[in-house]
Amino acid sequence: MSGDDWPTPMPRPGDDDDAGAEASVFAVFAPPETEIHGAPAGAGDPGPEPEADEPAATATPRDADDPVETGARGAQPAAAGLSVRSGPPVTPTANPPVGGVVDAGGADRGVRHRRRISPLRWASAALLGVWLVAMPLTSSVTELRQNTQIIVMVLAVLGVNVATGYGGMISLGHGVFVAVGAFAAAYALDDLALPWAVSILAGAAFAGLVGALVGLPALRIKGIHLALVTLGLAIVFQPLAKRVPAFSGGVSGRAVGAELVPPSWFGTTRWAEGLYRYLICLAVVGLAMWVTYNVINSRPGRAMRAVRDNDTAAAVHGVNLVASRVNTFAVSASLAGLAGALGIILVPFTSQESFPFQESLVLYATAVLGGLGSLWGSVLGVAIREVFSRIGELLGGVSGLGPLGEFLRLLDEEQFVFGMLLVALTFVFPRGLIGLFNRRRGLPVSPSSQDRT
Amino acid sequence: MNWNFEILPDFIFNGLRDGAVYGTVALALVLIFKATTLINFATGELAMLGAFFVYVLNVEQGWWLWLSIAVAMAVSAVIGAVVERALVRPFDPDDHLPVVLITLGLFLIINAVAGDIWNYQVRRVNDPFGHFPSWVPNGSELKTSSDGTIACLKNADGDLIEVARGTADADMCEMVGRTFFEVIGARLHYRTIGTWIGLALALIALAIILGKTKAGLAFRAVSSNAESARLVGVNTGRTLGFGWALASVFGTLGAALVSPALGGVNPNMMLTILIYALAAAALGGLDSLGGAVIGGLVVGLIKSVLVSWFGVVVLGQAYFSILQLAMAFLLILIVLLFRPAGLFGTRRIERV
Repeated sequence: MSGDDWPTPMPRPGDDDDAGAEASVFAVFAPPETEIHGAPAGAGDPGPEPEADEPAATATPRDADDPVETGARGAQPAAAGLSVRSGPPVTPTANPPVGGVVDAGGADRGVRHRRRISPLRWASAALLGVWLVAMPLTSSVTELRQNTQIIVMVLAVLGVNVATGYGGMISLGHGVFVAVGAFAAAYALDDLALPWAVSILAGAAFAGLVGALVGLPALRIKGIHLALVTLGLAIVFQPLAKRVPAFSGGVSGRAVGAELVPPSWFGTTRWAEGLYRYLICLAVVGLAMWVTYNVINSRPGRAMRAVRDNDTAAAVHGVNLVASRVNTFAVSASLAGLAGALGIILVPFTSQESFPFQESLVLYATAVLGGLGSLWGSVLGVAIREVFSRIGELLGGVSGLGPLGEFLRLLDEEQFVFGMLLVALTFVFPRGLIGLFNRRRGLPVSPSSQDRT
Repeated sequence: MNWNFEILPDFIFNGLRDGAVYGTVALALVLIFKATTLINFATGELAMLGAFFVYVLNVEQGWWLWLSIAVAMAVSAVIGAVVERALVRPFDPDDHLPVVLITLGLFLIINAVAGDIWNYQVRRVNDPFGHFPSWVPNGSELKTSSDGTIACLKNADGDLIEVARGTADADMCEMVGRTFFEVIGARLHYRTIGTWIGLALALIALAIILGKTKAGLAFRAVSSNAESARLVGVNTGRTLGFGWALASVFGTLGAALVSPALGGVNPNMMLTILIYALAAAALGGLDSLGGAVIGGLVVGLIKSVLVSWFGVVVLGQAYFSILQLAMAFLLILIVLLFRPAGLFGTRRIERV
């Protein structure tokens, strides 16, 4: 969800499903949010956007490990008012891009809570909620850690989504920012002896800075050419990182000395430790999604989309193209960097080995798979990738089927499964899986198709 | 500073040899870009697959090497055309996103399948240009030790000049054939000459195909203006399939030429070569065939002379060897920033 849609000035009869469904999806999650970090989140947003709290609600499921209950009612109206949606992946053509810069978001508020909720959204929201609660309770320490890593990966994918889906700049190099974030956080933590919270932020900030630098060429290079440059960056990064051992640990990688341990009341078992880290990561991921949501729907975010759809028109309307592009890249890179930084909470070791350039391709592909221009699309992309690689593993384990078995053995390879998934889904859902959740079809135009290169 | 000019020609020859390979792979990229303005990120993997076909036919099945290469090129052509028909044509050519995804997916699939079938270890292949035919006078001799590995090099006078893997005794070597000429004090390997010849023949063939055949004419028409070509009755779909087939042939040729120099074939062999080829294509102009070849040679020279010779030998900084890839990246970046059409590409004029 996300604010990908241009705010529509008028509710159109056909659309209503989207908005309503969205809102309620959040409503499901809203209660824990209010309980757990209600104060910061709810209060959070007196800002320009009326929609602000809603994402807060999205943050909640992540914090929630208690079952949703009482708060739900109360939260609902609030959530319903928000315009968050997993909305159709952007419909730039439908609304004049520049017009969108002028926020018309308020117009259809208030109608939303009456709308029907599509069962699919209910189901997936419920599934996600249940999984977030049940997973830690039923997992071993290792599984919990692996699953937390998957959740953290959402941020990196979201980073790609911001650059490509909202900014219209194809980035095949986001693995680099993940790596930079991890290295910077490890450096801050160990060499500068900064506390965890600061280190993680420093990791994200540093990645953002690097992202801004990388964004500079994007001022001139567009479309498929930018894809080429970012791919080059991804491929070059690994050998270069080996040469800067002070930062990356060189060939052997760097172990992170500091460990994030829960306060004593939380428990001292390894499982409790894992749970603690899970909760922290969940909270950070939720928070980051909420912040991203707000950025996307605030002035810079609208500028971003305006530039994506038609940079000349955006410039004419007063958008500073340089600032907007650099901004977009910085935001998207810092999300990826945050993912990297969170990664070292989970596994206190980092090395350039963990960031081969294929990783960057997978991030990009996951973002597109889920759906560009949609925050929830990124979540969906990661989820679908995981589900399929698990299925692949299961099938790969079956033996004794002759030639069919040969093929099944291939399914054991994540890369193969992912590649197949990519090709298959590109055919079925060229705009990403999130399209499943949207009734409106056919409108979206790919960001890149509008680049005049 | 150690201006060791004596060994410079060696580096130039090596650079031009690598450059010829980059140029060949860049041709594959450019052929596809020209027709569809798409960059096929799976180019390298398709080429790698072609090199494995050569390996299977020649090493495993024992076919004659040149026949294996020809058959591998033909099979690659079919694969290229099938990929185009099945995976690329269904999409709107003006929309990069889906096709970028498809080629990325293909990249991952081919890499995984090849890794599954052949593992990731390097498999030795026969070198089509390993040594000169016996009638060539005055070369130097490559010797292999009795266990079959290449162990030593002797020059024509019988002096041992290079011992590769520890085994030192010249008598343990058996003569295989001559591997290089001495040209202005440098070694001009047969492999280098062979690669150049391969590229030259391929270019001549390409010029004939594009210039003299009907399919080539159609291809030029489509790459010049697909819409108009369709209006005058060119079957654009089939023509694009033809372009992909041609591109796969060139990729396979490049991979087959380079695999002996890499020590053999393995599923990741084309990764770095792809980057150099992308740099070559960007430098020459993504839609210029001649530019791709010249770009490839220039990239090879820069890599070898500027980075390896000047950086490592003259400046004495070993880490320069790591910068080869970074150099390719910088080149892509600089070219696209300051001259997006490359040296020979068509400049596009944007009208607002």
